[in-house]
Amino acid sequence: MASSLRGVARVQPNSKTLEEARSRTFDFFKKACRSLPTVMDIYNLHDVVTVSQLRSSIAAQIRKNINVTNPKVIDMLVFKGIEELTNIVDHAKQRHHVIGQYVLGPEGLDKDLGMQDQGSSHFLKRFYETNYF
Amino acid sequence: MTPALRLAILRHIRLPSRASELYQPISALWFPLNGRRRDLSSHGGYHLAREEVADRVLAVVKSFPKLDPSKVTTDSHFQKDLGLDSLDNVELVMALEEEFKLEIPDMEADKIESCSLAIEYIFNHPMSG
Repeated sequence: MASSLRGVARVQPNSKTLEEARSRTFDFFKKACRSLPTVMDIYNLHDVVTVSQLRSSIAAQIRKNINVTNPKVIDMLVFKGIEELTNIVDHAKQRHHVIGQYVLGPEGLDKDLGMQDQGSSHFLKRFYETNYF
Repeated sequence: MTPALRLAILRHIRLPSRASELYQPISALWFPLNGRRRDLSSHGGYHLAREEVADRVLAVVKSFPKLDPSKVTTDSHFQKDLGLDSLDNVELVMALEEEFKLEIPDMEADKIESCSLAIEYIFNHPMSG
């Protein structure tokens, strides 16, 4: 698996059209989905997450950049995705990296509680999350 | 007289034999399919029934988190009827691949846009299981 991904990671020429960049994104998504069973085995994720949840998580990360229309930028994002996937499949990461990034998401353990910081203001809560609002 | 009668009766009486029903090959004891015959070839022989394919495809589509399970029918189009986008479409096709242990090539995967097309493709695929 790792060797097959390494062949893909060779830098391709830029996409000429938006359509080509789009199809490269879908190819990357398919490749990532097909390597998910391996990832589940490598990081022993069977008791924390399912393949379909991870698939949705990957799709959500791709969807975050849905408004990008520059083919060069899409190529760059896809390249970063392939790089990340290669690292994960090569076991260059540890279990908590994968769980933290793809199972829990950026909010981590804080999101499901809603109990903490009850006294603090709305501004402060948003400030802890992000300063883009 | 009695021995002759006994012999004559024994020659004519036929009881159905039950030995062949009771006999099981020793492999049946550990074979997980419990003695049923199973083709070792992965294609040919056993093939999924159309109803089973349809049920499992609909179950996969209904379990997709972004759509309303009550709207899913055999004829529903992923993007027109169920309100999904192209990325969701690919995600659904990947879920179907996982469910039926297939690898659908890109050309065919692009064409699977509705439940009926998915059922048709998977039913006609020799390796679906």
